[in-house]
Amino acid sequence: MSSEIALGIDLGTSYSCVAIASQGPPQVIPNEWGERTHASVVSFLEDGHVLVGNDAKKNIITNAENTIYSAKRLIGRFYFSDEVKKAQAVMPYGIIEGANNSVRLKVRDKIMAVPEVSALVLKEMRVIAETHLGHPVTKAVVTCPAYFNDNQRQATKDAGRIAGLDVLRIINEPTAAALAYGFGKDISQKICVYDLGGGTFDVSILEIGKDVFEVLSTAGDTYLGGDDFDDRIMAWLADDFTKKHGLDLRQNKFCLQMLKEAGERAKIEVGRDGVAEILVPSICQSPEGQVLDLKQRLVADQFNKMVMDLVQRTFKVCDEALQSARLTAADVDAVILVGGPTRLPIVRSSVRHYFQKEPLSDVDPDEVVALGAAIQGAALLNTSAAEYGQASYLLDVTPLTLRVGTVGGFSERIIDKNTPIPIEKSKTFTTSRDGQDRVKIRVYQGESSKVDGCELLGEFEFTGFRVGYRGEVQIQVTFEIDSNGIVNVSATDLESGKKTSTTISLSSGLSEQDLRKAVDDNAGMELASRQRAR
Amino acid sequence: MDAQFLIEVETLAMVLDQLDYYGVLKLDQGAGAADVKAAYYRESRAYHPDRYAAVESAEVREMIGRIYRRINEAYTVLRDDQKRIKYLADVSGPDRLKKLRFTEVEESAVQAEQKRKVEEQFGLTPNGRKFYSAALVEINAQRWEAAERALKGALMYEAGNARFKEALAQVQAELEKTRPKGDYRIK
Repeated sequence: MSSEIALGIDLGTSYSCVAIASQGPPQVIPNEWGERTHASVVSFLEDGHVLVGNDAKKNIITNAENTIYSAKRLIGRFYFSDEVKKAQAVMPYGIIEGANNSVRLKVRDKIMAVPEVSALVLKEMRVIAETHLGHPVTKAVVTCPAYFNDNQRQATKDAGRIAGLDVLRIINEPTAAALAYGFGKDISQKICVYDLGGGTFDVSILEIGKDVFEVLSTAGDTYLGGDDFDDRIMAWLADDFTKKHGLDLRQNKFCLQMLKEAGERAKIEVGRDGVAEILVPSICQSPEGQVLDLKQRLVADQFNKMVMDLVQRTFKVCDEALQSARLTAADVDAVILVGGPTRLPIVRSSVRHYFQKEPLSDVDPDEVVALGAAIQGAALLNTSAAEYGQASYLLDVTPLTLRVGTVGGFSERIIDKNTPIPIEKSKTFTTSRDGQDRVKIRVYQGESSKVDGCELLGEFEFTGFRVGYRGEVQIQVTFEIDSNGIVNVSATDLESGKKTSTTISLSSGLSEQDLRKAVDDNAGMELASRQRAR
Repeated sequence: MDAQFLIEVETLAMVLDQLDYYGVLKLDQGAGAADVKAAYYRESRAYHPDRYAAVESAEVREMIGRIYRRINEAYTVLRDDQKRIKYLADVSGPDRLKKLRFTEVEESAVQAEQKRKVEEQFGLTPNGRKFYSAALVEINAQRWEAAERALKGALMYEAGNARFKEALAQVQAELEKTRPKGDYRIK
């Protein structure tokens, strides 16, 4: 029965978590040291070993150039995107351009695609589960932010494959959280999942009708998360330090990492105790050779003022989601908080104020997503759940409008956002020149009618249809969004009904060949954490 | 999965292109939004691909996938009041066979209709809008006679605007109330 287990993996920006739901209620699998969440940090050691998890996180300072964190912020992005530019400015590891505008990471003369790094995190999760269970596991359900576009989902799926996992499904984090909350409870409610993660913010409105979990709408901001809260504290600390000593800590990558760590710790402390004492001894040296300490005190009021606009931004997204669902905040029966930053009192009280409701307290914001993924994993492997009345049905939606590029930099809507998936829609294209033997279309996702404001998914070229005079040949292109939220495009010649061949260019993803190579490379990388002495 | 269900799936997959959305969701044509949702949940419980993800036969999974995509498509159209009205008119009309699936053409027709309605609320002509907004101000201040004048002005530019007419009728009813009762006017 060992093959009949599917892991639920929450692949987070800063922390990841793994769970199973094979026997009895779903549960989180801790590693050998009892840790239940694991830093999504990958550190490449000098001896060729790879360290993943909380141990690797310690290396962010000592081995900064060879330690990759927050890779999720870069996954499925083009090299020219703003997020990549932003990351290049602050990340100590090398972010370089690969073929087709893709992003590559450079560590110790090794050049890797982002999914290859995420794969190492997934591999660690897999090893944790295998160590716990005592047998190999090959199947998993992996979560991603609801607001992820096709490129990001595809890359997440690739990461699973590189890690040697058969990814049964990519499910949305808020949906997974709702599933973990409502599974087996036989409730009928409208709920809101407020998911503020390390790097992304998502909100989903769901209607739970016993075993059916219908996502009414989803909205998000892929540039907003706990990291931005840290940044505010960092900026404050650095400005203050500059004022006192005339030195900018942000100029040095080593100091920057220490500053970042101090910022994160201060955020957690101020959230827990209401006040944070920040002390980083000997953070740098003045030009006169004097060793300087970073010493500060941060109180809750001051912190709340720093981040208030970030918190307010989340409610703009909530407004949007409620509006799409045609509901008001008062219609929501329960609010589920997901993600570490939702532990902050400022976030909790703002959520309470917005929804006029106490958010649920019996849900662990760090673990609930992995638990939901595990439940879904178990359901996908089970053919007879429905007969036992244990089934649950996730009716999810696509978060972004699917578009095709038209003339003059404009785009045309094909599938609206918040449409239930899986779904398909066809559109007929005609040739514009006599003797035209190929049709090219560019597919985008986004809410702007201009293609510049949308994310390019790829350019598709159709060939192998009948050649004729212009306007005579009609090609029916079918756009399908599958249950993973991944877009597939195919085309048929309307007259002959024959499928035309399709080639994709300009895609941010890995080619089949690259993927195979990555799978082999990955199998050869040894995880050093397994050898950590007790 | 039993044999009977398999036959059901095969038949449904075969006739899928001849069914309208009401047929896909097993609904009758008088169904409202709540019925549509209930039917969608019922059909999702029966045909959700997750339920059959572990089924061996790729052919069966493909059929179920195709059916479920159509169920989603039917739901997206029928849950929307405007689209449902348009769709019902389409499939009840002579072009029924061509209109079984709601395409971009129908979608833009619905949008044009909605846009027209919104514009009608505030007026289709600049002068109509000007008079109508003036009338709204007067109505708020309960100056019924001025409101009546403004609305009549608006109707001069847009004689067919249903909303203007309705407002005028209301204002005139108010005017009637304020007129002194009894007949003491000089003859």
